[in-house]
Amino acid sequence: MWQGGGGGERTFLPDFCSVRTLLAVVIVAELLAFVLALASDWQHALTWDLLGLISLFVQWVALSSAALLCALRGRLSRLDNVRAGVMSYLLVLAVTLLISDAAHWIMVYAGASLPPGWRVDFVLRNLFISAIVSALILRFFYLQHQQKLQAEAQAQARLEALQARIRPHFLFNAMNTIAALIRSQPERAEEAVEDLSDLFRFSLADPGRLVTLEEELDIARRYLHMEQLRLRERLRVEWALDALPLQAQLPALVLQPLLENAIYHGVEPLAGGGVIRVSGRCDDGRVVLSLHNPVTETTRPHAGHHMALENIRERLAFAFGRQAELRLDKTGAECTVTLEFPVHEGGS
Amino acid sequence: MRVLVVDDEAPARERLRAMVEALAGHEVVGEGANGAEALDLAQRRHPDVVLMDIRMPGMDGLEAARHLTELDSPPAVIFTTAYDQHALAAFEAHAVDYLLKPIRKERLQTALERAGRLTRPQLTALQARAPLAGGRTHICARVRGNLQLIPVAEIVYFMADQKYVSVRYLQGEVLIEEPLKALEEEFGARFLRIHRNALVAVPFLEGLEKDEDGRHLVRLRGVAQTLEVSRRHLPEVRQRLKDGVNLS
Repeated sequence: MWQGGGGGERTFLPDFCSVRTLLAVVIVAELLAFVLALASDWQHALTWDLLGLISLFVQWVALSSAALLCALRGRLSRLDNVRAGVMSYLLVLAVTLLISDAAHWIMVYAGASLPPGWRVDFVLRNLFISAIVSALILRFFYLQHQQKLQAEAQAQARLEALQARIRPHFLFNAMNTIAALIRSQPERAEEAVEDLSDLFRFSLADPGRLVTLEEELDIARRYLHMEQLRLRERLRVEWALDALPLQAQLPALVLQPLLENAIYHGVEPLAGGGVIRVSGRCDDGRVVLSLHNPVTETTRPHAGHHMALENIRERLAFAFGRQAELRLDKTGAECTVTLEFPVHEGGS
Repeated sequence: MRVLVVDDEAPARERLRAMVEALAGHEVVGEGANGAEALDLAQRRHPDVVLMDIRMPGMDGLEAARHLTELDSPPAVIFTTAYDQHALAAFEAHAVDYLLKPIRKERLQTALERAGRLTRPQLTALQARAPLAGGRTHICARVRGNLQLIPVAEIVYFMADQKYVSVRYLQGEVLIEEPLKALEEEFGARFLRIHRNALVAVPFLEGLEKDEDGRHLVRLRGVAQTLEVSRRHLPEVRQRLKDGVNLS
């Protein structure tokens, strides 16, 4: 949980100054009081007096602890998790000790006849109960905090995966093309907007999901259509697909970033443009897709290129484990990326 | 003002042309698809302003802008780019202006007006310093008043001769006024110093020989002539030749 005031440090302890946390403390304390009252005396019927007394005591311990934790929040939030945990644990035990002893003295002054040794017995029992319960509660806070961090990290990773896929270079160039087409060829501009929307809808969906090869090829074609409008005759695409299992599943947007790389590094640097060849076949229950693009003298190993490949590799590994493969071969004037994955049809 | 539009993407050129022509007082005098075409058109059509894309095949916009300053009356260059954050940061200080695509009409108008107010010395000062990533791809020489572009990949050697540097390339030879030292700094990865007065392109190195006076001479692919290697640079030349042999 984010700790608002104390300099923004992250600690797993919740904010004991907040009303919500206090309410939770009161409820948990009261539940504990119920449990203790129900378990207390086997021989006699449960009375409201007993429950009231136990509740009073437990609430005192719980609320005093909460008050102290609230007061010391600034200091605790500067400690690491282990120290903050141990400190607050000891604090609650100390509060339990003091209040137990105070309760004993109140009983003495109230004139209760207590058996010898009752004081030590009473304090020790309370300490044990408090030790167990507060350990459980601290553990709960810790796990909740970890879960929260994990959820945040996942959201961040998702965002990064998305950013790695749609390049700003592509987006702004596409927008520029659309702006140009609106004037000269409005129908083409409409098509471009539709393609761009499909592409974005596809990429904004859950990045971990699987799509069919058919959908993936379709979105790749839409992407190429967009680029065709921009680069015109400079971009030539040759498809050579054998009969492929179109229902085979693969992670979404694996092919499109590979095509984007091929265009950015292979076709755009050539004044006369170039040919991208996409070939696909199915061998022994494995789909093999290859992408060939020209290599120019100015095509240098590019950090962005490898990041995109790494991103795809990770997603393939996530879906297929070691059964999928992504290879990059540069031979002379051509660069080939080969993608291989096993056929898993939907539903299995 | 006379405007030259340079962009490798046809739709981008079409849009810019339409936008410029819709503004009063401006006309498009030509369209080019890369840096080399921009230089050629600039010499023939004498534009006042060049609207130039940065990322283009062959010669990019930054390099073309630098070569343009060699003209007698260089045009003002306004860069256009869709998204190129690194280039933006690099040339920000050196361009008259830059426009982000899709370009807005008002921004284009302001940029053209600003370009029209600049004096020639201001222009040269701005554009001659435009930084290039990894050196030029072409050398620009003046041949009978015209600019001639020589691809760096075709240059066999540079030879300093008094005030000029002679550039020997596969199809001929031209003179430029750049100091050998600056060329060595810019193209150090491709060219090797073999003598106080000469830089040779490593890919053209062929072999070493000795003449009757005991001088070492280097043979170069594509040219008949041999060049003298000074004693000081001999070990480096030998090493490069050895590396070359191992590679092939």
